Amino acid sequence: MDVQVLYNIVHQEAFGMNIAIYFYLTGLSAGSFILSTLAYGFGMEQYRPLGRVGVILATLLLIIAPLFLLIHIGIPYRAWHLFVYLNFESPITWGSFLLILYPINCIIYGYFMFKENMKLTRIFGLIGIPLAISVHGYTGFILAFGKARALWNTAIMPILFLVSAVVSGIALMILVCVIKDRFFSKQKKINMQLLENLGKLLAWMIVFDLFLVGSDLLVLLISHSDAQDVAHLILAGGFSPLFLGVENLLGKIAPFILLIVPKFRNLTTLIIASLLVVIGIFFMRYIVVVGGEFIPLI
Amino acid sequence: MTKETQKKRYAMLIDLRKCIGCNTCAVACKSENDVPLSVWRSWVKRIEKGKYPNSKEFFLPIVCNNCENPICVTVCPVQASIQRPDGIVYIDPHRCIGCRYCMAACPYGVRYINPVTKIAEKCYWCHHRVDAGLEPACAVACPTGAILFGDLNDPESALAKAVARNAVQVIKAELGTQPHTFYIDLDQDAVEAKEEKKDR
Repeated sequence: MDVQVLYNIVHQEAFGMNIAIYFYLTGLSAGSFILSTLAYGFGMEQYRPLGRVGVILATLLLIIAPLFLLIHIGIPYRAWHLFVYLNFESPITWGSFLLILYPINCIIYGYFMFKENMKLTRIFGLIGIPLAISVHGYTGFILAFGKARALWNTAIMPILFLVSAVVSGIALMILVCVIKDRFFSKQKKINMQLLENLGKLLAWMIVFDLFLVGSDLLVLLISHSDAQDVAHLILAGGFSPLFLGVENLLGKIAPFILLIVPKFRNLTTLIIASLLVVIGIFFMRYIVVVGGEFIPLI
Repeated sequence: MTKETQKKRYAMLIDLRKCIGCNTCAVACKSENDVPLSVWRSWVKRIEKGKYPNSKEFFLPIVCNNCENPICVTVCPVQASIQRPDGIVYIDPHRCIGCRYCMAACPYGVRYINPVTKIAEKCYWCHHRVDAGLEPACAVACPTGAILFGDLNDPESALAKAVARNAVQVIKAELGTQPHTFYIDLDQDAVEAKEEKKDR
């Protein structure tokens, strides 16, 4: 039976590229912060060189990220409404406080770290972990509350966002460590042992991320009709080159192979793998945000 | 309970058997609410089923459902989307920051960002007219009387009687939003967006 739409209006795009970039930057920030606390919060000494780099990256990225929100919203000078007219049912209200508390905590934590005050560094590092998890986890809830969009409305979304945040955070950290050691350190010598540890961590987080993406997709494929439509959109439709090719093949499977096969293990492949992951996770955000609202609702 | 103390619950009933797809409701809405070009508070979706000569066009006038359990009110971070006690959901234009979260969350796609003022807007059953004792512009303008508006809680109203005496449907009842725009003779294919998957 033919069903042909003769007339319907074109709907505006609700969340676009700005929101995808914002999610990407908060993810990188949360990932960097968690890596920074591995040594200073949990005492894993092999990761001590990451502490300072991590906190600087986390703070800088989280200062840039909300600027994309200000570009996105229609009337930026009304942003103070977010702190006055509260609606605690809305994830954006949770986020407006998290986006204030988390950078402040990052700055305090970093200050004590550079002052070599280990006790206070540890305390603020441990306070920062739930904040870092919340500041990225809430973005997953923003999408999960969009209950008409099958790609967003899943309970796995916050944890999927957190895992991809850690993945992208580790990859960015590898790149920044290479640049820092090569150009800005006194010895100009790269700490290969540290990078290899990070590489292994990255490889296994990629596996976890792939598992989450796969389980999300499997359930979408046999769920209700809207879910099947969006699963076909990202597997066979307009978003499939990005989803299958860029996000998963180049952004996850290729880096995993580069990182895990002993023959490939050297500095160049580590850099290539990290670059691929950083790019792949950006496309993951883009596909989730833009692909999720691609199919019109009515 | 006397009639005065009874809580009002406005609702709309669109009888698609009477709809001729003339778009008068959409035009009346645009004119009444000063809706800019390129956006619509209400519109008539039109689909064609079958192949000529065994074919028929179906019309679906779409307005806001003014849900009993509105997701747009839940997700609005600044309480700019407000549900009145009589069920109408409206947007405070001085409160809205234009974050578009309501647009992303609304299952019916009825919200838009006003290109001039940059805030979210939608159909609110012309509450300025309703408060003045009039009917919404679309209900008045409809030449075939397909659009009924009234108080669902008043058993004597024409709307409550029509809802009680007909088989009525709502759009996407499964989402639990409890829409209060009812339809008679609603076609499932007109609701779904299947054929619209366009390449962007």
